[in-house]
Amino acid sequence: MPQVKIIAKNFMDMVASLPAIKLDLLYRNQFICEAILRSLPPLAKKYVLQMLYIDIPITSKSLQEWLLADGSSKHKVAIDRLIQLRVFEVIDRKKETTYKLNSTFQTNLRKHMISGGILPREPIPQSVTARLPTSEELDAYAHEQWECFLLQLISSGQAKKSTSFSSSMMRIFQRGLLRQRDKEAPRLTESGFQFLVCIMKLMALLPLFCVCGLMDPYTDKLNEGKIEIGSLSWPLYLNWKTLMQLFFCHFVARLFILCSDFHVLVQEQGVDQADLIAFLLELSFHTPGEAYSLDTLTDDQTTMIKDLADLGLVKLQKGRKESWFIPTKLATNLSVSLTDSSSRKQGFVVVETNFRMYAYSSSKLHCEILRLFARVEYQLPNLIVGAITKESLYNAFENGITAEQIVTFLQQNAHPRVAEKIPSVPENVTDQIRLWETDLNRVEMTPAHFYDEFPSRDVFEAASDFARMHNGLLWEDAKKMRMVVMAEIHMLMREHLRGQNK
Amino acid sequence: MASAPSKLYADDVSLVVVLLDTNPFFWSSSSLSFSQFLSHVLAFLNAILTLNQLNQVVVIATGYNSCDYVFDSSSDLNRSFENGRMPVMCSSLLQKLEEFLIKDEQLSKEEPEGKIKSSLFSGSLSMALCYIQRVFRSGALHPHPRILCLQGSPDGPEQYVAIMNAIFSAQRSSVPIDSCYLGSQNSAFLQQASYITGGVHHKPQNLDGLFQYLMTIFATDLHSRSFIHLPKPVGVDFRASCFCHKNTIDMGYICSVCLSIFCKHHKKCSTCGSVFGQAQSEAASASDKKRKTPET
Repeated sequence: MPQVKIIAKNFMDMVASLPAIKLDLLYRNQFICEAILRSLPPLAKKYVLQMLYIDIPITSKSLQEWLLADGSSKHKVAIDRLIQLRVFEVIDRKKETTYKLNSTFQTNLRKHMISGGILPREPIPQSVTARLPTSEELDAYAHEQWECFLLQLISSGQAKKSTSFSSSMMRIFQRGLLRQRDKEAPRLTESGFQFLVCIMKLMALLPLFCVCGLMDPYTDKLNEGKIEIGSLSWPLYLNWKTLMQLFFCHFVARLFILCSDFHVLVQEQGVDQADLIAFLLELSFHTPGEAYSLDTLTDDQTTMIKDLADLGLVKLQKGRKESWFIPTKLATNLSVSLTDSSSRKQGFVVVETNFRMYAYSSSKLHCEILRLFARVEYQLPNLIVGAITKESLYNAFENGITAEQIVTFLQQNAHPRVAEKIPSVPENVTDQIRLWETDLNRVEMTPAHFYDEFPSRDVFEAASDFARMHNGLLWEDAKKMRMVVMAEIHMLMREHLRGQNK
Repeated sequence: MASAPSKLYADDVSLVVVLLDTNPFFWSSSSLSFSQFLSHVLAFLNAILTLNQLNQVVVIATGYNSCDYVFDSSSDLNRSFENGRMPVMCSSLLQKLEEFLIKDEQLSKEEPEGKIKSSLFSGSLSMALCYIQRVFRSGALHPHPRILCLQGSPDGPEQYVAIMNAIFSAQRSSVPIDSCYLGSQNSAFLQQASYITGGVHHKPQNLDGLFQYLMTIFATDLHSRSFIHLPKPVGVDFRASCFCHKNTIDMGYICSVCLSIFCKHHKKCSTCGSVFGQAQSEAASASDKKRKTPET
């Protein structure tokens, strides 16, 4: 089983971890500067704005003068982040720390403030493209592609229908999220479940078409065999949409980096990480539903865009002479303001005290997710009825899903009727889920060594004292002169006994 | 009606309603030309929109006779701007502004000469509040709203009642009114508006650096205001205008029933109709004169 490590990581951490040269390269793109600015904590944004037109370094003391007394912790966070991202350059002068804006970043942001960014390509006029899909059609298309992909994630066997994902991409997703034992069907790993829960949690907050952006940042470090998954607690200062945009880009970018790790891209042309991020960010600034000519893309970008189409980010179309791509809302999800998508995506699960679960949903995806930890009994057109049983939960635990994750999932997706109540999921159910989990942990294994046939009581007592002194005594039976000692101190114990024998 | 806090975004997402003074009488006499002023403001608006994807900017032009919306970053027309094209925003804003100015000028032809050349601040303030109320009532989530007045023309005392009512309704919906006064004397209305609603009032010393003032002070979102030093009011001009002659006074008569303000003694309140007593009228008016002279 791969070692799963949960680290509070987000896109910016990843950007910050890029080497300095790469970062400077990234800042050559105005859109990235804007995206970076948007991702900063409010105070850091303020610092950047205030220093935008100041060319000389500013001392940290005068920066702090802008703050009220209780803001010093915020100041520290802001400054740390700015330095990490190399937006601020630190110049030490006569024992006083001074800061200066990164000049590439500064020039680009100034340009952006005054004249705005101009995309490298213009939409193709209506006369050439004839009829473009309506926004509803695009949404439906994007949604379908996306759900299809998620479904494939959970049950690789089931969603055979028209999954045109390149097998390489699927394999990459599976590497992190699914685990395949010999000859068994692939199963979801803990990180995979967390990923899904994350998506569901966010789905509950926002309309589905935004979901694409709701990815968890997930980095798969191939060489170390370690998976890092962003923790569920998001930094509060980031707003949802920025977060989504960045995470999504991060996710897809990461995906492509992985791709390039093993085959497709790297063999033909080494795609640069910075290029990938830049392209994705740029794409998110396009107008959804407009057609853009494929000819305007570089070769690398053309390769990427095909995979993006698989995920439902863009729709590719062919005209008589030229072909073009249409960004869907998944790609530009951020240009849609929340108010016009009015209705929040609502929860759908009702759990009763008798462990029965009713899920008002017609989505196959929901059904599959529930099936991970509950027994689905029957399905009506808009309702899934199931029960949470000991067996179904054991199944889930075996797959590495924790009780806490299940409870959170149920709480976050509670149907509005029950969501008003406190607690939204009956306490006896949540308690029982936790108890069943602890059931599995009843036996604790400790490697140990067993000693008996001591020559005399003195030797035995000395040995047991010695073990106790090293905190290694697990059990002893003074009458029969036996004891069990933790494996760690076995060597020490042997030395000790040998010393006694002489 | 203040909205439930749960409907607000928890962080620094803001809706800024900018009231733009377009009074030609002021701009013809100002040291900063109107076009320079606009370029500062446009960059500022762009900066606000850059700061956060969800930030929203609405611009209302305050003319001499009328006021109107000239820009709304959330409307469909400007959608393409959100995707990073500044020129679209500029051109649509400038075009609307020009149309507005022409209309405003046509209205002003029949105006008599000799009165204070103030702009219709009360009208634009009410429009801003209406817009904010609409935002409050629509949708599940909305940004933190605030109003920014960029005003240069002198106060029009005849608008006193309307402005005060608007200020109090802003206070009730907890919408801060920030004000940046660009004219020569300071404006009592703006000072009071910012003071009552908890906004920031500032009068830039050097108008050439307007952009930096705007960025440093007025780009601060409500979330950050709790930990950033902002200009504090030094002394607020609390003088009111009387209801009878619309003069600004620092001492006058107040109706004990409806709190209407008068500069002279009346037999009857013109607002609520209550009959005033006659006693001490002469003594009061005499002392009133005495006190008034040293002040002005």
